[in-house]
Amino acid sequence: MNICVFVKRVPDTEAKIRIDHETNSISEEGINFILSPYDEVAVEEALRLREANGGTVTVVSVGNEEALTTLKKCLAMGADEAVLVKDETPETYDGLRTAKILARAVEKRFPDYSLLLFGKQSVGADNAQIPAMVADLLNLPQVNVVTKLEIDGNKGIAHREIEGALEKVSFSLPAVVSAQKGLNEPRYETLKGIMAAKKKEIPIVTFEDLGLKEEEVTPLLEITKLESPPQRQAGKIIEDEPEEAAKQMVKFLHEEAKII
Amino acid sequence: MYKKVTQEIIEKLEKVVGQKNLTHDREKMEDYSHDEFSLKDIAKFPELVVKPEKTEEVAEILRLANTEMVPVTPRGGATGLTGGCVPLYGGIVLSLENMNRILEVDLDNQMAVVEAGVTLSEFYQAVEEAGLFFPPHPGEESAMIGGLIATNAGGARAVKYGVIRNYIRGLEVVLPTGSVIHLGGKLMKSSTGYNLLNLIIGSEGTLGVVTQATIQLMPSPRVMRSLIIPYDELEKAIETVPLLIRKRILPLAVEFVPKDVIQITEEFLKKRWPCTQGSTYLLIILDASSEDEIDRLSEEVAETCMEKGALDVYVADSPKKQEEVLDIRSKIYEAIKSHTLEVLDISIPRAEIARHVKKVQEVSQKYKIWLPTFGHAADGNVHTHIMSARFEGGKIVSLPEEEWKTKFEKVREELYKDCRNRRGVISGEHGIGIVKKSYLSYVLDEETIELMKGIKRHFDPQNILNPGKIFD
Ligand SMILES: Cc1cc2nc3c(=O)[nH]c(=O)nc-3n(C[C@H](O)[C@H](O)[C@H](O)COP(=O)(O)OP(=O)(O)OC[C@H]3O[C@@H](n4cnc5c(N)ncnc54)[C@H](O)[C@@H]3O)c2cc1C
Repeated sequence: MNICVFVKRVPDTEAKIRIDHETNSISEEGINFILSPYDEVAVEEALRLREANGGTVTVVSVGNEEALTTLKKCLAMGADEAVLVKDETPETYDGLRTAKILARAVEKRFPDYSLLLFGKQSVGADNAQIPAMVADLLNLPQVNVVTKLEIDGNKGIAHREIEGALEKVSFSLPAVVSAQKGLNEPRYETLKGIMAAKKKEIPIVTFEDLGLKEEEVTPLLEITKLESPPQRQAGKIIEDEPEEAAKQMVKFLHEEAKII
Repeated sequence: MYKKVTQEIIEKLEKVVGQKNLTHDREKMEDYSHDEFSLKDIAKFPELVVKPEKTEEVAEILRLANTEMVPVTPRGGATGLTGGCVPLYGGIVLSLENMNRILEVDLDNQMAVVEAGVTLSEFYQAVEEAGLFFPPHPGEESAMIGGLIATNAGGARAVKYGVIRNYIRGLEVVLPTGSVIHLGGKLMKSSTGYNLLNLIIGSEGTLGVVTQATIQLMPSPRVMRSLIIPYDELEKAIETVPLLIRKRILPLAVEFVPKDVIQITEEFLKKRWPCTQGSTYLLIILDASSEDEIDRLSEEVAETCMEKGALDVYVADSPKKQEEVLDIRSKIYEAIKSHTLEVLDISIPRAEIARHVKKVQEVSQKYKIWLPTFGHAADGNVHTHIMSARFEGGKIVSLPEEEWKTKFEKVREELYKDCRNRRGVISGEHGIGIVKKSYLSYVLDEETIELMKGIKRHFDPQNILNPGKIFD
C-alpha cells in the first residue's frame, strides 16, 4: 500500500510570535520551526500502516527550501522518500491554492497511491481546508479529524470523536484521511534514522514540472491586517481576612467585572 | 541561651518591614517550618517570619536580632533538601521572597544584577529575553538566587558549564552584626585580598545574608539536542561515560536513570518516555554552534555508546520533545517523594561512579530496601534515594516504620563509608544543612572542621545566624 503524507513547516508552538506589520506576516527571526504536530501524527500513522501492510511512504511539502529540514525529519522518522514542491511565494493562507498544487502533484507524480494522509490542520494558519479540498479536486472519499484508523485490503474504517459519541466511518481506497491528535504517539527519531536521512536526496519539483500555469498559482486571498491578540491583563489578588475578602470579591465581580 | 521573640521585638520589626511583611500567625507560619527534605520530623516552627524589601531592612533585622540574641534563619525558595532553611532554634525566619527585582541585565559586560529573592525561573526568563544564556540548571526552578548561592547549587549541566560558584562575580552581603559588605563586582578577574566571595558561596546562610548578586551570563548555544540511550545493564551505561571523556567529548549533561523510576514517573505524569527498551538509560544533552557540529557530535556519542552495548540511540531535537524528556527526568523526585527518606548527594571522582553504584546495589540487596540511584553520571555526583520501601514486580511496597528506621541508618553509614574510601564528599550540591551534619567528619579532617568553626565565630560571634547548620 503506497501512502502519501502532506506536511508543513510551521513555527514552534512554543515560539513567541512577533508580527511584521510591513509584510503582514509573522517575523521568522529568532523562532524555531517544526513539523506541524498534526502532520507528525499523520507521518507516524503512515509508518505504522506500512509496517503492517508493506508499501511505501512518500512525504510531500509545498514551500521554499527551508522546508527541506522538515522533510528530512520525516525521512529520519522512517519515510521512504520525500519530495519538495518548490514555492517561493511567502505564506498566502490561501488553502485552495495549496490544495490545487498538491492535487496536481499527486496526479503527476504519485498515480499509484492508495491513501493520502494529512494533519487535520496546520498549526499557525489553522485553516483546516486542505484535506477536504484535495479530496474534492481528486474526487476521492474523505474522512477528517480521525482518532483511529484501520485498513483492510481496499477498505478502511476510521473513528471520529463527535459531540457525545464515537462515529465509525467505512470507506473505500484510495481516500483522503486527516489525523487528529490521539491517533497515535509519534515516535522519536533514532540517530541511525537521522544519519540515513542525511544521505537521501530530496527531489525538488517546480510548478513548471507539474504543468501549473501562473494564473493557477496566483493567490486569491489577501491578508489585509495581522494583529496579535490583546494582552491578557494581570489577575487581581485580594488579600484580606476571608470574610472581608469574600465581600470584596463579590463587589468586584458585580461592579467591575460585571459578571454577577 | 537564645531569647524568645518578645512583643517588643515584634513591634520594633514591624516598624522596619511594615505590618504586611511580618507574620506570627501559626497557620501562616507552617510553610516556613520546613523545606523539601522529605521526613517531616526535622520541621520546626519559627516564632516570627519577616519579609524585608530592602537591604537596609535586612541589616536592621540582623542588628536587632544580634543585640537581642534571637536566632535568624535566611530562607529562599525552601526547595533545599537538607533542612537548611528550617529554624532549628525557633526565632526569626528571614524570607527573601520580597526582594525579587531583576536590577539589570548588562549586555556590554554580559552580567546580570539581581536581588536574592528572584526565582530561578524568573531569572532564566529575563536572561532569555535579553538573548543570553545562564548555563547552570539545578532541577527545581522555584529555588531563589540567594538559596542557590548559599548551597552552591549544581545541576545536570555542571559537566560542561560548572556550578553556580563559577558564575557569581559579585555579592552584596549583610553580616550577622548588621553591616553590609560588597564583594567582587562586574569583574572577570580579581587577585585583591582573600576571596571572601567564594567563602560566602556555599556557606548555607551561616556567615551572612546574601541580598544581591552579580551573575555572569553567556551567549546562547545555537542548537541543543538530547539523546536517550537505552542499555540492558546499568554498568554498561555508566561505563560509557569515561569513554566519552577519553574521546574528549564534552556534553552539556549526562544523566543516568534506571527504568523503574522512569516507569513510575511516566505513570505519575501521564507522559511517555521515548523508548521502552532496556533497563537503564543514559540521557545525554549536547549543545553546539551549528547543525553540522551537533550531527557530528551525536554521531561520535552514538558510536561510543553502541560500542559499549547500547541498544539504540533516540533523539529529541525539537524544544518540545527535549522539554518532555527533561520534564520526566526532573519530576522523578516528585513521583517517588512520598516514599523517599533522604536523597543522598555523594560526590566522588567520576571514574569511580560505576563501582560506587555497584556498592549501592549490593547494599540494596543486603538490606532488602529500594535504593533508586540516578544522577549526574559525568560529574561524579550520585543521588541515591533511600526509600521506606522495596520495589517488587514494578510496584512500590512500603516497609513498616520500625523496619526502615534501622535500615535507614545502616544504609547511610555504609554508603558514606564507600564515599570516603573513594575520596569523595557527602554533598556535591545540596549542602549539609541539618540532615548531613553528623557525617561531616567522615570526609573532612578535624582541623578543617575546626578552621571552619573559627571562621563562623569570626563572622557571627553570638551564633545568631542560621545556628545548628553544617556543624554544631
Ligand atoms: C525537585 C528538586 C530538584 C532539585 N535539583 C537540584 C539540582 O539539580 N541541583 C542542586 O544543586 N540542587 C537541587 N535541588 C535542591 C535545591 O533546589 C537547591 O539546594 C537550591 O539551591 C535551594 O535554593 P532555595 O532558594 O530553595 O533555598 P532554601 O531551601 O530556602 O535555603 C537553602 C539554604 O540557603 C540559605 N539561604 C537561602 N537564601 C539565602 C540568602 N539570601 N542568603 C544566605 N543564605 C540563604 C538557607 O538558610 C539554607 O541554608 C533540588 C530540589 C528539589 C526539590
